Amino acid sequence: MPAEKSEKYVENRPEQRCYKTGTILLMYTVGASIRYWLIFSRYQSIIGNHIEVSTPLNSWKRVSEGLYLQSKGINPYEGDLLHEAPVTMLLYRTLTQSLKLPVEITFLIFDIGTAVLLYFIARRYMFQLFVQQEESKEEYSEDSKEFLLAGPDFLNSPVFVAAAFLFNPYMVFNCVGLSTTVFHNFFLALFLCSMLYGSILLSTVSLAFCTMMSLSKIRAFVTVGVFILVMVSLKYISTVLSNGDAFIKNVYGFILTVPDLQPNIGLFWYFFTEMFDHFRDLFICSFQINATILYLIPLSIKFRNDPFLLTTAVLFLISVFKSYPCLGDVGFVLSLLPCFIHLFNYSQQGFLVGVIFLITTALGPILWHLWIYSNSANANFYFGVTLAFAIAQIFLVTDILFAYLKREFCLKNGKDRKIDGKDALLILE
Amino acid sequence: MGLLTDPSAGQGKLTKALLKYYTKLCVLLYLGGIGWLCSLAYTPMNAGTYFSENALLPGLVKSEFREDGTARTFHDELLDEMKKYDDSIPYPWLLAKFKQIGLDTYTHNFTLHYPLGKPQKFTGKNVYGILRAARASSTEALVLSVPYRPPLSVHATTSPSIATMLAFAKFANKEKYWAKDIIFLITEHEQLGMQAWLEAYHGTTCGNEGTLNHGDIKGRAGAIQAAINLELHDTSVGQVDIKVEGLNGQLPNLDLFNLAAKMLLKEGIPHTFKNRPNKNLRDPVKDWYYSFQTLMAMISTQATGIPNGNHGLYHRFGIEALTLESVSHNGKAGFLSMGRIIEGIFRSLNNLLERFHQSFFFYLLPSSERFISIGLYMPAICLIAGALFIKACANWCQLQESQIQDDSEEKPKTETQKPKAKPKRKEPKDMQKFWKDMKAKYEVEVKSYKPPDPDSINFVSILFAFLMTHVIGVLVMNSPQLLTMLGGQYDFSTEVSLFSGFIAVSAVLLLTPLFVPFKSCEKSMAVLNILSLLELGTTLICISMNNFSLAFFCAVIYVPLALIVGVTRCRVCSGIKKVVWLVAHPLVVLTVTVLTYTHVMFPGEKLEANFYRSLAATQQAIVFSIIDSMIYGNWLFSVVSSIFIPNWLCFWIVAFSNIQPNEEIPKKKID
Repeated sequence: MPAEKSEKYVENRPEQRCYKTGTILLMYTVGASIRYWLIFSRYQSIIGNHIEVSTPLNSWKRVSEGLYLQSKGINPYEGDLLHEAPVTMLLYRTLTQSLKLPVEITFLIFDIGTAVLLYFIARRYMFQLFVQQEESKEEYSEDSKEFLLAGPDFLNSPVFVAAAFLFNPYMVFNCVGLSTTVFHNFFLALFLCSMLYGSILLSTVSLAFCTMMSLSKIRAFVTVGVFILVMVSLKYISTVLSNGDAFIKNVYGFILTVPDLQPNIGLFWYFFTEMFDHFRDLFICSFQINATILYLIPLSIKFRNDPFLLTTAVLFLISVFKSYPCLGDVGFVLSLLPCFIHLFNYSQQGFLVGVIFLITTALGPILWHLWIYSNSANANFYFGVTLAFAIAQIFLVTDILFAYLKREFCLKNGKDRKIDGKDALLILE
Repeated sequence: MGLLTDPSAGQGKLTKALLKYYTKLCVLLYLGGIGWLCSLAYTPMNAGTYFSENALLPGLVKSEFREDGTARTFHDELLDEMKKYDDSIPYPWLLAKFKQIGLDTYTHNFTLHYPLGKPQKFTGKNVYGILRAARASSTEALVLSVPYRPPLSVHATTSPSIATMLAFAKFANKEKYWAKDIIFLITEHEQLGMQAWLEAYHGTTCGNEGTLNHGDIKGRAGAIQAAINLELHDTSVGQVDIKVEGLNGQLPNLDLFNLAAKMLLKEGIPHTFKNRPNKNLRDPVKDWYYSFQTLMAMISTQATGIPNGNHGLYHRFGIEALTLESVSHNGKAGFLSMGRIIEGIFRSLNNLLERFHQSFFFYLLPSSERFISIGLYMPAICLIAGALFIKACANWCQLQESQIQDDSEEKPKTETQKPKAKPKRKEPKDMQKFWKDMKAKYEVEVKSYKPPDPDSINFVSILFAFLMTHVIGVLVMNSPQLLTMLGGQYDFSTEVSLFSGFIAVSAVLLLTPLFVPFKSCEKSMAVLNILSLLELGTTLICISMNNFSLAFFCAVIYVPLALIVGVTRCRVCSGIKKVVWLVAHPLVVLTVTVLTYTHVMFPGEKLEANFYRSLAATQQAIVFSIIDSMIYGNWLFSVVSSIFIPNWLCFWIVAFSNIQPNEEIPKKKID
């Protein structure tokens, strides 16, 4: 959308600076065609084999192996091959075998579905922001009015969110690499969507689905009762589906005790490769506490007024600290960022984080190649890069959260941060 | 966490200081990077080489090789035999000798379909024998290879090394201590044969499918741990040069280099690196200068990414390899010493318990006794590339600053437009009504008017332009076959059609700025500039991980030019910038480099003859880089065409920014 040079503005409304439905549809078509082209090109297997894209938890190879075993009447959870929950296995079986959808198209549909959901999430959130803004307008100081969102800003942000998902290379790789994180993201988006639209039942059901797929999402939940009910019933269905509890060890045990130390973009593999075995339990506990509940309570207290921001921050931290993260997790949270367009003016690390993301994304596969194929670099090089990648994410989430606090402060106290004529420091506590 | 939450880190003093001093800082970083690398040649700045892998046990080997008489006989026989084969390998004789010694003997055929121009086919044949280890089950192997050179070859003969190899094979076959198979390999057609054999051994293809048909081999030993490539040109050896630089600038493990150097030292044969013996000069300046020259010789070889011997092709298969080449031919040493050196190296390698993993894979050598590890040389490239990031960061801050300024300028306008007092909203009791009201208000608000900003950043167009340049780059990367086909129709040679084709393509690409819609938007141009700076910086760092020397050369050439190019309001500056950036075009850089090189290599020649010679050399260099990428998987051509050319185009567009000189705010200019 080119910025049209307008002559001095006239009173009757000139063209709006917001996006038309046609543009949005075109965007979705382009996003889908990029995925379609890549998914059927010879780059598919290269992308799919990258450890940044598919981890033991989400690789489609393992799922198809599991589906085959199931079709032969063998319990796929008996070995340590499959780490998908039985319910989702049922979903894949229905999609690919009963509905006879080609696998690639299934992934494509779910990915684009996620993008559509994200658009509505952002729309709803912008509306909520507006309501919040209107409600507390009186409390805001006079000179900070210009920082409030106005007019078409509200409509642009959802488009940015959709664009950030559709054209995000991480998301494209995630879909093209056929990682089941695509489905996971879909249910996550469904959960966020229903949460924002206030549908308790749908949100709990989708959250339960998410949790079934990967345990660490458990902490984002809002309504406990229904959640537990649905969880229990899903678990029961799972047990019936897989004749026995073997799947629990292979799905949740796998996530919690991290037995597979294949490198990924997370922080677990390196530490647990290096560690003496008798310290393993201690560090598993501390790492998992760090990844799940450590930040939940303080963040919930501080950001209780903006549950969506809280959820995003928590998702961010999960994608950094979980045991088998992949680019799909990171990309999903990154594409939610344009929702917080009102915070961007207050963030400071944007450039730094962008540069680190750029360099680490480029260096990661190169160092992997040098380590595994050329036999010249080693694990430390690759881990260094993933560490920098994690640091960049932490910088980003801290920056956004701090920007939120700063904005709140500025709106209430005016934009000049001065105490007795001197510049005051805002400190996050 | 203080770093993250301290607000003064962002808009505070640091930003101001950055905006004020960034030009000086960039210059400082650039010079600092170059200075850093230069100073690394100074002895106290680098470290002495040492054995990191204890299992090698090089000191424990007591040489027992006494087959120099046999070697001499083999050599005489081979010379007689070679007379019968002008232009091919005397494989019946070689096979017979291998069999006589008692090795498993095989031949290997390969075919090259020349990828450019008219379809042509070349065939070749390698001969190899495997000594099966007595104490292990063929799971690991070592290779001793020699490139065979027929009498008509332009290169110096290698017949003495074949004789040495055969004599060593005869000796080794009698020993019982071998735990790894030894493969004795004689390749034809220099690197082509080597590449074909390695591909056949591992069953993969490195270059384009269908170019080099590597054929099949019948006999294999286990995973190859290390390889020595032997090139002796005379029966008497005065000096041995150790060559390490491989394909794409990859190097063998430093331990292997140390091992070779140690064995040469033990036998009393002087060894050199880059044909320069070690000298310990008293005068520190002279000492530094001597090491610096050696260092630069290594850097310039490595930067080409072309292996300077057959050893260079092993590296990409994870095999440590180096070449021993005899350089001076009037020494006392002969078959006996060389045989003992080979014996020493192979017996040490035989001791290895696991593949080379200790020591260094990334290093630079200022002499054969001292090395510069990756931790020491990376700061050099990081400093230089850092200048790009600093400038990008400064431009970004400038952009944000101007945005804030714009906002504050607009502020009075908007305030007068806004209604001052708003009716106070009562606490809603009816939630449904409240939401309804809000929805209605929202609808109004969303459609409310906000003055469009003519100077706003047009991200979509910028990204589109950025992507299009890269698509062009990928097209250029895939164009050689088309260009040679077109040239072939008019009976041009491959060299000429490629060179002129690329010139024509570049000339057309010079017009790209015409199609950029946001040329007059200062901020959009600044964003494109930032993107290009970041891309160049990232590329340099990524290349430096693979091939430090290449990255360093590119950085030294490109960084100052890229720092100069930028958005400007001044017409004259803009003109200068365009000219400067034209010089940075990869084609121009290549031509100038070759010109300088030719001038240095042939100093006595007339200027005109020199020019034509270098022009021909440039054309050949382009063809070779393309052929190398197709046969060996050398990535230089791909990287230049798919990253450097697009990046160059982006900067070229930036140099064409057409911003109206603005009287109101003349001071606010970006760079």
